[in-house]
Amino acid sequence: MAEVVANGVRFHVQQLTPPVGEARETVVFIHGLVMDNLSSFYYTLANPCAAAGADVMLYDLRGHGLSERPPIGYTLEDSVDDLVGLLFELGIDGPVHLVGNSYGGTVGLAFAVAYPERVASLVLIEGHFAVQGWGEEMARTLWGIAFGMELEEAQAWVAAAGRKMTRMAKKADALINHTSLVEDMLTAVPLAREPLASLACPVLAIYGDESDVIDRARDLATLVPDFTLNILTGCGHSILMEVPAHLQAVLAWWLGGRQGPAPVYVPPTAGGTGATGPHPLAELVA
Amino acid sequence: MDAETILADVTRMLAEVIGDDYLEEVGVTMDTAFSGDLELESIEFVALAGLMKAHYGGDVDFVGFLADMDLHQIIALRVGQVVDHIQVCLMAVGSRG
Repeated sequence: MAEVVANGVRFHVQQLTPPVGEARETVVFIHGLVMDNLSSFYYTLANPCAAAGADVMLYDLRGHGLSERPPIGYTLEDSVDDLVGLLFELGIDGPVHLVGNSYGGTVGLAFAVAYPERVASLVLIEGHFAVQGWGEEMARTLWGIAFGMELEEAQAWVAAAGRKMTRMAKKADALINHTSLVEDMLTAVPLAREPLASLACPVLAIYGDESDVIDRARDLATLVPDFTLNILTGCGHSILMEVPAHLQAVLAWWLGGRQGPAPVYVPPTAGGTGATGPHPLAELVA
Repeated sequence: MDAETILADVTRMLAEVIGDDYLEEVGVTMDTAFSGDLELESIEFVALAGLMKAHYGGDVDFVGFLADMDLHQIIALRVGQVVDHIQVCLMAVGSRG
């Protein structure tokens, strides 16, 4: 398995390269918290992105997927340091396109503020934005996941589930109840507004209009100079899993230099299929 | 390379990802479904694809293979489909060489 040690932690990393030719861009994908890992990007955007001609790097955040789960080191600052360490170990020193889902978007935003020269662009998919009270909110959600079920109910559920669900539940329990993750979220410091207002890189934000974090995108729209908001009608927080074809189309448009109008999501109820064209990332191959 | 040899290679790599014990219990054939039969976690399939990429190198195009499928197709994959893809790619390399 592809393992890279950075900041003393063993990370699971996958790198994808274009089947033919030299890559023009490097795209780094950052996944969300607890039940998420790099596979959510691997199955949706990463392979089409590499097939279209980009070098792609995906990694499991510490404590997630197949990466090591140390007891501590789960602050936003730690997450940014881990990305810095991984890029160093992998010899990726040019500007990269960062694509983050949910908490991965928060990491991307914090990285772009700290290292603006290293970010070619930032794509936030339902990205959380570290405002005042963000840490408490995240921590409360995680406690809910950990203790939302009565113990007996949880035990029965795990006993009835197959190998896959049992393992996933055990991993989530280990991460939430046996690391400093929740505690670290409670200490989260909001991102200062000034650096966001002077953020040099272009930012694309894709959110569902029924998402509970849509206000974060609107906040960012008032702050970040080069900000493109792509709102998906009738979608919630899980757009990466719900409408990957549209996200592929928007990412292709973004990485291809934003030529023409941005793809617009047409919900199935409005006569659309939820997709926005046949394999749109293919446009990048030429 | 014949399908039987490739299946043995893929089975060995599967064992590396999810362990020998579980595989011996379930058994692996061309018809085995990664998700339905082996209950392979999505992240484990990624690790398996990584091992296959490292083993076969540039001769087998996994990026193109997976890029052409949607999420549901990937989740529903059977071992035989992967073995067939590897065999087709290796034959193409052989015919070029």
